[in-house]
Amino acid sequence: MALRTPVRTDGPSDSRTVRRDRRPRPSAAGARIWTWLTLPGTVWMSVFFIASLLLVAAISFGTTDELGDPRFGTNLGNLKALADPAYRDVMLRSLGYALLTSVICLLIAYPVAYAVALHAGRFKNALIAAIVVPFFANYLVRMYGWSVLLSDDGPVLRMLRAVGLAGAHTKILNTGFGVIAGLVYGFVVFMIIPLYAAMERMDTSLIEAGRDLYGGPLRTFLFVTVPATRQGAGAGVVLVFLPAMGDFVSAQFMGGPNQIMIGNLIQDKFFEGQDWPLGSALTMALMAVLLIAMFGYLRRARKDEAEATR
Amino acid sequence: MNPTAPAPLRARRRRDQRRRPVFAIAVTVVFFVLLYLPIAMVVLFSFNAQKSLTVFKGFSLRWYEAFFHDNVLLGSLGMSLEVSLVAMVGSVVLGVALALGLVRNKGRLGTYAGLIMMVPLITPEIVTGVASLLLFKGLGITLNSGTVMIAEITFSISYVTVILRSRVAALNPEVEEAAMDLGATRWQALRLVTLPALLPAILASAVLIFALVFDDFVLAYFTTGVDPQPLAVRIYSAIRFGVEPTINAVGTMMLAGSITLIGLALAIPRLFGRRGGLDLISGE
Repeated sequence: MALRTPVRTDGPSDSRTVRRDRRPRPSAAGARIWTWLTLPGTVWMSVFFIASLLLVAAISFGTTDELGDPRFGTNLGNLKALADPAYRDVMLRSLGYALLTSVICLLIAYPVAYAVALHAGRFKNALIAAIVVPFFANYLVRMYGWSVLLSDDGPVLRMLRAVGLAGAHTKILNTGFGVIAGLVYGFVVFMIIPLYAAMERMDTSLIEAGRDLYGGPLRTFLFVTVPATRQGAGAGVVLVFLPAMGDFVSAQFMGGPNQIMIGNLIQDKFFEGQDWPLGSALTMALMAVLLIAMFGYLRRARKDEAEATR
Repeated sequence: MNPTAPAPLRARRRRDQRRRPVFAIAVTVVFFVLLYLPIAMVVLFSFNAQKSLTVFKGFSLRWYEAFFHDNVLLGSLGMSLEVSLVAMVGSVVLGVALALGLVRNKGRLGTYAGLIMMVPLITPEIVTGVASLLLFKGLGITLNSGTVMIAEITFSISYVTVILRSRVAALNPEVEEAAMDLGATRWQALRLVTLPALLPAILASAVLIFALVFDDFVLAYFTTGVDPQPLAVRIYSAIRFGVEPTINAVGTMMLAGSITLIGLALAIPRLFGRRGGLDLISGE
């Protein structure tokens, strides 16, 4: 039986060597298996992901030939075009929408995570599953349902009109608010999950202590709960901001021509305008914003951690 | 409750426990209603007897019938299933191997691999889509279901690796070493000891990837050829250029499918007698 005859993997050492001494020093051949396991995935990611990202960077300096096909080059025109007011405004709008989306998600997710994590008792797990599961449903279908719900003669506006909160001409679709509503609906779960996790980890006796010191519910929440869950909130902001910034479906389904985001521009340059170099430059700009956001978040998180361990 | 606590404190505790955060609960109720209403609308109107997308006029299965007689949509369904299956197998094989290698490989390769597998997680899908499209065009590869599969595998490896990595790290390496002390080779120890211990997480991540890839739109949109197109891409065109109620029926079936799969992914670790299916999602 194969199991009984150990294959010596650590070289031509004396076969009488006691087996025990294999443990303290992992053999070279034994370690090689981990390299072989790491390699395929690493090569795959390097070719299909890292190399392709570098290609985007290279093409953003390129030009198009007569057929509209991209050519490599040393053309700075595409990057300069980013400063063009038409593109700049779209980029600023995307940034604004993504930031507002993050803020609104925070405002929704705090009460929801609080109620579910601390006051749902034995229904806690069921409720958090009920929040997570719909987000795995098809994004387009969900977004389509949301746009029907918020449409001009949809149930939400009809109800708001009935109670006098909306006028006859109040619209949600085809406004900036509609696009943000779409982004919030699309990504709010990414805020709820880390906040929920942070609240679960939080020492609830802190809240009791706040109450014992005569803090009202709001004061206790603002000065005890919020600081204690700040890291979860930070992670949530990043997790919402990243996909919101690159989204183009919400602007298409919920907005009009005046609410397009950077994702729509990129889509247009690749599918309708056939200006791939400019599309690549826009993609690089998007990536740059996100890397800056990510970098800022990581620095902040590291500082927080250093303070916590001091 | 602590029975030895002085009476006033006990009373206070009881009062605190009864005090419900009314505002937070109200927000939560509204949140749940708004979360499910759009989905409920799609499901409801998929059974509408009339073509209207706003007025419900009686129950009918005509849109489901229409779907099953639509050869273009059926072709798309077939392609989506094929792509999801291949992407699931490919990314699980590569991702599990990568997770094992990463945790045990402390060298320079491990550091590099750990770094690049995090990048897709913070890259918006549209960037990955653009990058894949450029790469395929640059290499002169014709866009078809194969290019969608490659892009989806690239996108999914990181998820598998993230889910598996913490599980691998939680394993006690001494168990593997014990197997080797008993005469197993590295490979045997891996196959007979480590992989069975990881099986629940592997199955759960496989189901999760299948659902994610099946529903994925952005990457598929950038990397698919013209015909056939994945179901999600068809749905996108249908919504954008005039909605047929058939879309509600397709949407309802996709909802049912992904909810079943996610339920399965959450349940698998429990079936194997482990707690916490949810930390699969929160990534802890």
